[in-house]
Amino acid sequence: MKRALLRNIDNTNSADINEYIKISGYASLLKALEMKPSDVIDEVKTSGLRGRGGAGFPTATKWAFASMDPKFPKYLICNADEGEPGTFKDRPILEKNPHQLIEGMIISAYALSAEYGYIYLRGEYPNACNILNNAIKQAYGKGYLGDNISGKGVRFHLHVHQGAGAYICGEETALIDSLEGKRGQPRIKPPFPVNEGFLSRPTIVNNVETFANIPYIMEIGGEQYAKIGSPQCPGPKLFSVSGHVKTPGVYELPMGTTLREIIYTHCGGIKDDKKLKAVIPGGISTPILPADKIDCPMDFVSMPRYGSMLGSGAVMVFDESTDLVKVCLRAIKFFEHESCGKCTPCREGVGWMRAILKRICDYNGRETDIEHLLEVSENISGNTFCPLGDGAATVVQNFIKHFRGEFESKIKI
Amino acid sequence: MNKTDGLIRDIRAIKEKYQSKRAALLPALYLAQREFGWLSPEALEFVAEALDVPKASIKGTATFYAMFKNKPVGRHLIQLCTNVACMIMGAERLVDLLRDKYGIEPNGTSADGRFSLVIMECIGACDTAPAMLINEDFYDNLNKENIIDILENYK
Amino acid sequence: MITVTINGKKITLEKQVTVLEAARSAGIKIPTLCHHETLEAFGGCRLCLVEIEKIPKLQTSCTIYITDGMVVHSETERVVNARKAMLEFLLINHPLDCPYCDKAGECDLQDLAAKYGPTTGRFAEGKRTHPESYDDPVIVRNMERCISCTRCVRMCDKVQGASAISMVNRTSKTFVEPFSGKRYDCEYCGNCLSVCPVGAIMSRMYKHKYRPWYIDKNINTICSYCGVGCSVTAQVKGDSLVRVVPEMGKGLNKGLLCVRGRFGYDYVNSSARLKTPLIRRNGELQQVTWSEAFKYAADRLRDIKERYGSEAIAGIAGGRCANEDIYIFQKFIRGVLGSNNIDSIANFSYAPAQRFFERIFGQGVTANSIQGISNSDGIFVVGGDPTSINPILGLQIRAAYQQGIPVITVGDTPGLKRFATCMLKPNPFTETALLVSLLSELKVKKQFLGGNSSFERLINNISALSMKEVEDICGLPTDNIASAVNMLSNMTNPSIVIGKDILQRTDGHINLLLLSAIMYLINGRVYLLSEFPNEQGLVDMGCLPDMLPGGRPIEIESFKKRYEEIVGLNISSTHGLSLSGIIENAYTGKIKAIQIIGENVLSNIPDSNYVGKAFSNLELLIVQDSLMTETAGLAHVVLPSLSWLERKGSYTNLERRMQFMGKAVEGDGLEDWRIISEISKMLSFDMGYKGLEDILSEIARVSPLHKDITYNDISGDECIWPYKGEPLRHGVSLEGMDVPDIGSLLKKPAKDRVYAVFDKELFHPDSLSRKSAAISSISPEPCSRVNRALADRLSVSEGDYLNISTDAGSIEMAVKIDEDIPENVVMIPNNFEGKGIFNIMQWKLNPVLKCPVLDGNEVKLKKAEARS
Ligand SMILES: Cc1cc2nc3c(=O)[nH]c(=O)nc-3n(C[C@H](O)[C@H](O)[C@H](O)COP(=O)(O)O)c2cc1C
Ligand code: SF4
Ligand code: FES
Repeated sequence: MKRALLRNIDNTNSADINEYIKISGYASLLKALEMKPSDVIDEVKTSGLRGRGGAGFPTATKWAFASMDPKFPKYLICNADEGEPGTFKDRPILEKNPHQLIEGMIISAYALSAEYGYIYLRGEYPNACNILNNAIKQAYGKGYLGDNISGKGVRFHLHVHQGAGAYICGEETALIDSLEGKRGQPRIKPPFPVNEGFLSRPTIVNNVETFANIPYIMEIGGEQYAKIGSPQCPGPKLFSVSGHVKTPGVYELPMGTTLREIIYTHCGGIKDDKKLKAVIPGGISTPILPADKIDCPMDFVSMPRYGSMLGSGAVMVFDESTDLVKVCLRAIKFFEHESCGKCTPCREGVGWMRAILKRICDYNGRETDIEHLLEVSENISGNTFCPLGDGAATVVQNFIKHFRGEFESKIKI
Repeated sequence: MNKTDGLIRDIRAIKEKYQSKRAALLPALYLAQREFGWLSPEALEFVAEALDVPKASIKGTATFYAMFKNKPVGRHLIQLCTNVACMIMGAERLVDLLRDKYGIEPNGTSADGRFSLVIMECIGACDTAPAMLINEDFYDNLNKENIIDILENYK
Repeated sequence: MITVTINGKKITLEKQVTVLEAARSAGIKIPTLCHHETLEAFGGCRLCLVEIEKIPKLQTSCTIYITDGMVVHSETERVVNARKAMLEFLLINHPLDCPYCDKAGECDLQDLAAKYGPTTGRFAEGKRTHPESYDDPVIVRNMERCISCTRCVRMCDKVQGASAISMVNRTSKTFVEPFSGKRYDCEYCGNCLSVCPVGAIMSRMYKHKYRPWYIDKNINTICSYCGVGCSVTAQVKGDSLVRVVPEMGKGLNKGLLCVRGRFGYDYVNSSARLKTPLIRRNGELQQVTWSEAFKYAADRLRDIKERYGSEAIAGIAGGRCANEDIYIFQKFIRGVLGSNNIDSIANFSYAPAQRFFERIFGQGVTANSIQGISNSDGIFVVGGDPTSINPILGLQIRAAYQQGIPVITVGDTPGLKRFATCMLKPNPFTETALLVSLLSELKVKKQFLGGNSSFERLINNISALSMKEVEDICGLPTDNIASAVNMLSNMTNPSIVIGKDILQRTDGHINLLLLSAIMYLINGRVYLLSEFPNEQGLVDMGCLPDMLPGGRPIEIESFKKRYEEIVGLNISSTHGLSLSGIIENAYTGKIKAIQIIGENVLSNIPDSNYVGKAFSNLELLIVQDSLMTETAGLAHVVLPSLSWLERKGSYTNLERRMQFMGKAVEGDGLEDWRIISEISKMLSFDMGYKGLEDILSEIARVSPLHKDITYNDISGDECIWPYKGEPLRHGVSLEGMDVPDIGSLLKKPAKDRVYAVFDKELFHPDSLSRKSAAISSISPEPCSRVNRALADRLSVSEGDYLNISTDAGSIEMAVKIDEDIPENVVMIPNNFEGKGIFNIMQWKLNPVLKCPVLDGNEVKLKKAEARS
């Protein structure tokens, strides 16, 4: 398949606006500016695009809510927080193809009458920050950003805003609080950001990859786009593959490509030709799958049927030698470290799970610990303010569900 | 020129980007951290004044984020990822190495004040794990040998 | 109409409220920790989880809104288990130190754990540790106990607007801290501690002194500090006071308090309390019995009255006395001693301002509800900082601002710095020019509403000053003034909040006229800031030289007659001397005897030197007070009166709301009214009151305004003007109101001089709070404020001492730097003995209002010699 999101990345100068224009960059913008804003939204609707940040929410639906809200100004925010462990799919766009993101944002801003945009970029990507800032400057220089975009009287200003090391700020309402200069904790919903987001104004938050799809949709048309990959959630998808595969990296493949194909066809199989033990398919918060479940098509609709989720498409591969209890402990440490502290079960419960896991890992586990761990996880599950705490519970539950023996063997020693 | 004059000017420039003074807080804290070395009480008060935001509430924000330094750090800040992908690729051994060779504990500073070590959650380099940032420079595919060579470039 | 079913009970509500509110309205209890009725929802503790049919996950009832047909269950097994689980989580890091913790017995967490009880703690690892902090003089923080509900922080940020504390860190390492990590640096309202559901933030004042179940009595009363009149509850064990607390949701303060109300109550137990009557003999105050004292006072009064006539006698009443006391006092001075020379500090600005507005707009025009401030569509503040003078009223302004209502301030209002849309800071004492220019612009922009043509004519005759003309005089850029004018002219229902400072000026009477004109043009509602809890009572009870109770002019024969008939005494119909007149006549020797109840005149009016000299000329000074004051120190007879909390009575606040004060403990001394009755008896007039009821029923007969009033009315929820009575309806009278000479205002203050400006402090509004050990520990000494440029010129830095002098004297005071005040000003408070601005001011009076003026006091400043 021809790459649509990373089409330019083999060119060492791909982040330069002139290189991007050479491959017909910003043509989609000019095309969109000839359309009515509502037609742009319709085109995205036809495409069937779903958000690439993890939840897979239909993009056009979110946009329609925001465009119906009469309050102004409206804000457009790119979620470039990419904090989910195992996820690095947005990075090549940010570092190597920033103009496709910027173009996507300008088109979206036009469609939504948003006058201000921010790219909320994780603090851990200082290179991307420089590259983006430079790209934005170039876009201003060419008149694609500013008060009168391409002479069409359209106004959109775009800035990069660096996060400072908080996974929870990937959650869109926490992101907005963080952007407002506060502690990045999730907000009560409703009101939803599309009605009351940044500075209490209608705000649209989309993932980097979601925005990068927009110029492509404009280019080939929504109908054509809808034919790519899985029918219920079409389009190209970026998969970031890490762990024990021969060629880890970011792969652009049609939505619905199976895990097996990703691991064995595209990533060359398991490193040192060892046996596959398990895969976390969509970033650390998604349920782990044992080796026999890898024929699942990777898309938002199919994955739940296989007992997991597409999430951010961050595939983490573990070979037979991996100590999964240790992986589980490390994952829970992550959640503990990132718990924002707002709600009781996540703030206190995740640390408790860590403490139990630690004892098991240290061969000090007790007979009752696995049941105890499950009980704590169930008490967290469904009772937290936001999905972060749920994620932690999911990890524990699924690791135990599929690999209970490994836990038991550490306790029974 | 006073050392903080530049900082004031930079913060003022940032304010232009937002329709709320408070929204300029994270970028302003980054700048202050660079200027003061860490987010000391003076640094926080400085930002509070510049943005006209109550200082206690600035402290609340500053202590929330892992990349803001709420205590003094060494000359160079090693931010080493040990999350799952890096861990299974050997990041923990690197932590041991840093402890043995430079005497730095995680979240501590070497006795000579040269390095501080912060254990990071995923920094988005899982395909080339293990990885780290030193100050703002990025390094990946680390192993016991090359990490020493890299560190030796930071005096 | 929305109908929901909660636990099988159908509930129908008009408004879309949260499930929690709906449940509570039907008496169904759902446990909560992070929720608080004065704060916006948070949804963090997860205790209020409920099951809602058709929604798979449990929902937090504090955040989810009801919809028609919703079916909710709050006590199913699933819910109870989840609740238990949340409590178990909370106890992971919570020290189980309940036997030691002061909160035990009134701790929400303890109560819930007892009810839903996680069994034994299963968490085996170590708990978070955090030493208890005693860094603060009045607040203890124990962050091991913090459950991160953030109630304190939301209170501090959103309601108090102080933003002095914050949650710091994240994860289970989260806790609450002031910026310094040690002491608070704030307004010390302590509202954070009243919303803490556990023992994480507590008052040091009763630390380890009691357990809630020891409390025998809860007595409702009204705070004795300012004219807002906040409701508080005094808690008593045996016969001693344990603590004073607010009750959430109760009173016009809805459970909020300021530092004075929360911590300042301990003056009641101060070592300066007077215990026995004193009589001056051989120059010394000596202890005597009550009967000796009564006899002495009565004999001396009789003697002076016989020798010099009634006109040589005067009475001064205090704003902390109860209505009942001051009613009896004026009756005594008027009827028994035969003199209309009775007055109070209220007549220095509060009363004349009220009277001025009432003359133009009718009686009761200032009787507006404090809650109404946040319902107006704009706020104009002039003449003082409401957040320090009447703090709970100030909170309404902050709340309004946070809702987007424009707030315009004139002058130094540091407490509104982050809550004002437009701050006008004219050069010192040039407010009049600014007001003229605001009026001139508003006259152009606004139409007269009609209805008061004579006043309209008067307004039209005030000549104009353009913004350009006053730019230079006031030192205010025209666009600053223009934006204020714009905002003012867009308001349709604004509140105008007026402090004393604007009246205590050489041109104070002109300012009053200008403010009335502005108010008329923008249809404003007036609030007069009031520094004493019963300042309005002084007016209403007739402690004025020319007014009888109920605001009835003494010269009107029918009022005088009614009074005489009911009281059974004849009174003179000539106006008495006002407070300034009394002092001047004491100075010149025409007044020979003064009786004072509950007022520290020597400290509280400028200039103290003049007052001191006046008082030392007296043949007789009788002082009734509960504390030894500077004034009592000069007296010939000192009579200890019962203090607040020791006696019952009523107060009337600045909204003209009457409220009941309860008695919590016994004290040494007698009620002021009883002392007066005893003296009266010795002067052969037996007032014959058996108790307060008798006094109130007499008030109800004498004052048409208080017609038929009873204590039932006063202790009820709302006893507001005009009560059940009859206001005085009189036509508008502009007689004697002159069109001011604008030309005389075109004076610029000299740049090269420094002026003293009276700083109204939050912590020490007057001389009472310094008798509170708690408040004195927060603010132990007076501080002057200057800006950086002036400090640099004087080579002083923060913490140094300034020597401040005028022709009248000199004082030394620590200095604080404050960027927000003009370079030619030094702000000086008046709250510590011998070290106040009134010690260095000259006795100057406003020609019309006859109140001391505070403007134009030029001072010389230098750095004081090093102090040990
Ligand atoms: C704990 C948590 C972390 C998240 N992190 C990210 C993230 O790093 N990047 C992202 O794009 N979305 C993240 N999301 C999803 C966002 O909340 C939001 O759904 C997304 O930005 C919407 O964009 P999309 O519709 O384009 O997917 C996260 C959600 C949660 C609950
Ligand atoms: S689950 Fe709760 S504590 Fe955890 S991140 Fe979400 S809101 Fe914060
Ligand atoms: S009271 Fe509802 S979550 Fe705390």
